[in-house]
Amino acid sequence: MSAPVTTVRTGTSAARTARFVLGKASGMIIVLLVVSALTYAVFVLLPADPAQLACGRPCTPERLEAARGYMGLDLPSWKQYLLFLGGIFAGRTFGSGATAIDCAAPCLGYSFRLNESVTDLITSRLPVTFSIAIGAAVLWLVVGVAAGVVAAIKRGTVIDRAVMIGAIAGVSAPSYLVGLLGILLFGFTLNMVPVSGYVAFTESPLDWAWHLVLPWTVLAILMAAVYARLTRAQMLDVMGSDFIRTARAKGLTEQRVITRHALRNVMIPVITLFGLDLGGLLGGAVITEKVFSMPGLGALLLDAVGNFDLPVLVGVTLFSAAVIIVANFLVDLVYGVLDPRARA
Amino acid sequence: MNAQRSRSPRSLRQTALKTAAAAAVVAIALTGCNANGDKNADSSTGTQGSTTDTVAGGTLTILTSATEVNWDPAESQNLAITTLGLVERRLTTWGVEPGKPGVVVPDLATDTGTVSEDGTTWTYTLKDGLFFEDGTPITSADIKYGIERSFAPELSGGLSYHKSLLEGGDTYTGPFAGAELPSIETPDDKTIVFHLTSAYGDWPWIVSQPAFAPVPEAKDDVATYSQQPVASGPYRVAETKSGVSITLERNDKWDKATDDVRTAGPDQIVFSLGQDATVTAQRLIADSGADKNAFGATFVPPAQLAQVANNASAKERLVTSDAGALAYLAINTERDGLDNVKVRQAIQYATDKQAFQVASGGETGGALATTLITPGIQGRVDFNLYEAPAGGDVDKAKALLAESGWDPASRELILVSEDDSVSLSKAQAIEQGLERAGFKVTIKPEAQLAATQTLTQGDGDYDLNVSAWQPDFPSANGNIQPLFDSSQIGNGGWNIARFSDPAVDALIAQATAEIDPVKAGAIWAQADEAIMAASPVVPLVFTRNSFLHGSNVENFYIPSFPAYPNYLKASLAK
Amino acid sequence: MSLDHDIVGPVASMKTSRSSSTLLSRLRRDRLAIAGLVTIVVFVLVAIFAPFLSSLSGNDPYTYHLDALDSSGAPAGWGGGISAAHWFGVEPLTGRDLFSIVVYGSRTSLVVGLGATFLAMLLGTVVGLVAGYFGGWVDTVASRIIDVMFGFPSLIFMIALGAIVPVSFPRLVLLVVIIGFFGWASIARVVRGQTLALRKQGYVRASTALGASHGHILFRQILPNLSATIVVFSTITIPATIGSEAALSFLGVGVAPPTPSWGRSIGDAVTWFSVTPMYLVFPGVALFLITLAFNVFGDGLRDALDPRSRGVRS
Repeated sequence: MSAPVTTVRTGTSAARTARFVLGKASGMIIVLLVVSALTYAVFVLLPADPAQLACGRPCTPERLEAARGYMGLDLPSWKQYLLFLGGIFAGRTFGSGATAIDCAAPCLGYSFRLNESVTDLITSRLPVTFSIAIGAAVLWLVVGVAAGVVAAIKRGTVIDRAVMIGAIAGVSAPSYLVGLLGILLFGFTLNMVPVSGYVAFTESPLDWAWHLVLPWTVLAILMAAVYARLTRAQMLDVMGSDFIRTARAKGLTEQRVITRHALRNVMIPVITLFGLDLGGLLGGAVITEKVFSMPGLGALLLDAVGNFDLPVLVGVTLFSAAVIIVANFLVDLVYGVLDPRARA
Repeated sequence: MNAQRSRSPRSLRQTALKTAAAAAVVAIALTGCNANGDKNADSSTGTQGSTTDTVAGGTLTILTSATEVNWDPAESQNLAITTLGLVERRLTTWGVEPGKPGVVVPDLATDTGTVSEDGTTWTYTLKDGLFFEDGTPITSADIKYGIERSFAPELSGGLSYHKSLLEGGDTYTGPFAGAELPSIETPDDKTIVFHLTSAYGDWPWIVSQPAFAPVPEAKDDVATYSQQPVASGPYRVAETKSGVSITLERNDKWDKATDDVRTAGPDQIVFSLGQDATVTAQRLIADSGADKNAFGATFVPPAQLAQVANNASAKERLVTSDAGALAYLAINTERDGLDNVKVRQAIQYATDKQAFQVASGGETGGALATTLITPGIQGRVDFNLYEAPAGGDVDKAKALLAESGWDPASRELILVSEDDSVSLSKAQAIEQGLERAGFKVTIKPEAQLAATQTLTQGDGDYDLNVSAWQPDFPSANGNIQPLFDSSQIGNGGWNIARFSDPAVDALIAQATAEIDPVKAGAIWAQADEAIMAASPVVPLVFTRNSFLHGSNVENFYIPSFPAYPNYLKASLAK
Repeated sequence: MSLDHDIVGPVASMKTSRSSSTLLSRLRRDRLAIAGLVTIVVFVLVAIFAPFLSSLSGNDPYTYHLDALDSSGAPAGWGGGISAAHWFGVEPLTGRDLFSIVVYGSRTSLVVGLGATFLAMLLGTVVGLVAGYFGGWVDTVASRIIDVMFGFPSLIFMIALGAIVPVSFPRLVLLVVIIGFFGWASIARVVRGQTLALRKQGYVRASTALGASHGHILFRQILPNLSATIVVFSTITIPATIGSEAALSFLGVGVAPPTPSWGRSIGDAVTWFSVTPMYLVFPGVALFLITLAFNVFGDGLRDALDPRSRGVRS
């Protein structure tokens, strides 16, 4: 083990930035490789045999063996993993002859249960997850930041207190409970909004939004609470700082001080967190999608884990991990650029 | 030997989910209104639905918890009267009416088959005027090809009974490498002949299974057929949105004059996929907007059954089957302690069938069972070898345990259960019942596939399991053979009590070989009683399946067999 | 979800230890935090004395009372079958005493919540300390591992792991291990950051120059300065882990029935809501209260430790 050293960096700032970005990017690729290998390892250990599903009824040992061979499950797991990795870059073919199934690069595997390539599955489910995430994100960002700013400005008043208590209650409520109560109240009792199902944006933007109102709201309640707390804390921090005092001293109106000077500084940590949360959500909101019967990536994963659909599990997990890791990477980049100290 | 597992709403996913809906054209008068309504009108168990004249038009929505439908007939275990039946016709199919047992009726063929004297050769002739959706005529070669491709390892997962019955089927691996199966002959475009390894009286039922649907070789693509089948029925698959919905449209090449079982009422049928069972039931109870034109393909969960009981409007739209699948507690007869017949008989008395019935949804969920053969099946005899109150007889159980010499406290019994809430509450009803007599029971929740694997593969590392079994066609054979024949232990077989008794095996063989159904029935009843004496399973209830439909849905009913709604005739009011 | 993010900022700025008397007096003035603490204590007592409490009503969470149900399996009578014998009513389909179930359920929630949080803090602190203190390749590797943990869709892995581990392994312990194992990345990141900052401090450098051992510096000089962060982080992680247990049970992969769990009760109760709303109310409120209590207390604790973020309570 090496003793702590304080390195003094040299070189131009451009070169340092490039080195920083490259280092982060290569790290990201290593992380993805590790995640994919671990995913494969964990799911290969699952006690169920996907070929079982394909065996039919009644199933005979010979037919089970044949199904295994066709699905490539008779190969050693490390070979299966290498084939999987190869498929991502070069595509691959399952089976041979007249019945071969082509899976073009980037091939994340092929689900014999759903008769679709995992890449196609992700492509078809991503819009759903994306719709849920984007709408909810806009909602929670606006509501959360607004509430946080108001609370900070009205510090110590009843408004501040109400916002903070509301926020802490929002953080404490389990999302599925809120979601299910929302369905029961607004969907069934008041009959105001649809309770389940997804309509594509391209089909009818209005129906799209209408079907998503409940999931957006439910997700936003939880997240807005987090953002309100963060914004308020940052706001109080910034409002007490020297440059705000200077701005006030220059005779700027309070409104201008807040919008032009304070908010801009508050938004840096908020946007950072936002990037991470959005990345996480784009990987699939498992519980929200389950509660609202939304056919997104999270629902796909949950369905796959219950059915031991190994290709889907590995492929989608890797995709979700990639989204999260890329989001982390971007956030790090932004942070690194904004605050060079973070590169240490 | 056809049997269909129908367990929690989850496994419904496997059956009804791969299922579909139905419809027909213009006013084909069906049997009288409320054919069955009166018989059941009063009961809390609801009705089995009713029939009326079919009105053409409208969009029927089917709410299902399935996330996909596999339309490839070679890969499907679909019932003849559900999903696939709308798009793909077979040689024969099922004629079902409310309250009456299903019968096998001709579909593409002119009759249910002509059998040779030795019972091993079956001949079918196709009707005139049969076309695929693209206008090409349906020939016997298309049916032969459809059956052949079901043997290919690339296309598996479907019902496979024919594979061991057809001569040469044990070694045939499908047509993709160019080989044919010689035991299927097509002397001309209209005739198809099957050569079986041995006499099999239920063959007309076998040719109603999905694999006996025609597949045009020229249009076959293994990678896409499961989503884009070539329709022979009244509907064609028009649009598939992965995980969201599947839309069926009319197939105008289908001629209703050739089809006696499909009425093709709705213009469009939409499968709404991935719908939660509880939400589906609540939507249908609410019956608002487009949900008026919808029905649920998933069982109504117990909680919503209770909800329906207090809602007069919903009550009218609840359709409940007759006694369907037998729910039973399987006791692994190979395990320490459970290999002792006295211990197994003690379990008969310790089991709290009443709690199990309540967990299944009370009276509406099922009627208490004491035998193995489903009511309504030829040869069924009602008997009860273990007389006890519905809640069990704990004292008798304890006495039997004392007699057995096995100490129930000596080890924990592992009760494997699927991990959904309905299955788990049933498992808990069993667990608490047995613990009253001193048994120690640990519930092991497993995902459906994992549970299936634990039970049917490997060496049986479990003690107990709550299962349900519904035969695919109404024969005692389907009730007994798959569950109790010693050949069905492990290797995918469903003899999960791992019960092996040469005397019972002999009875099963004798009954299968018997061609006279009445005589066969008597032997099956004998087998039923012989098995119950050895106590490898505890019959719990004959489950009733309940489904809800919107107020605008007509001709929605459940026959006595199978305990699922008939999609082929459901239609919409004007 | 990302409960932990929002405290990273303020906590990271705490550098010096404060005297505990100031802390206590600050906390004492925060009525909300005190209410939270009292609630936590009550729940802990309920969990410890669960058998006694449920026997007060003459019940246990396992015995069926089918006579308390109507013919459809719903609880008979008002409020989900509330009566002198069943204070919270009974569970549908089984007639089990809901009061006992809720009381025993607190054991599951607290054991998993506290156990998993302890494990996560232990792992996270060790990794963060080592990474931040030694730097170099150790830090690079540790940081990558932390990134990997962040990149895992952990819920799916928790479900998969639950399926792999044999039934003989106690479910409660498994939940603690799984949830704890997937929860350490955030605290590791924070501890690493603070360790990085601390090791540049004069007194740490001085110790190094004087030849103090790594162990001495880590445990005597750096760790004490991190204790406040770790305590606050723990308090705010507990409700998240309690929530994880409930969510897993809600999804059907938590503790095996009939062991009571609020999450599973909530999952079951939701389907019964229109028939017997009280079935959802009791476990739902219990889960909400304990989560809220930990959050409020954690908040108060943080404010007491870091007056800058204070404001509401004074």
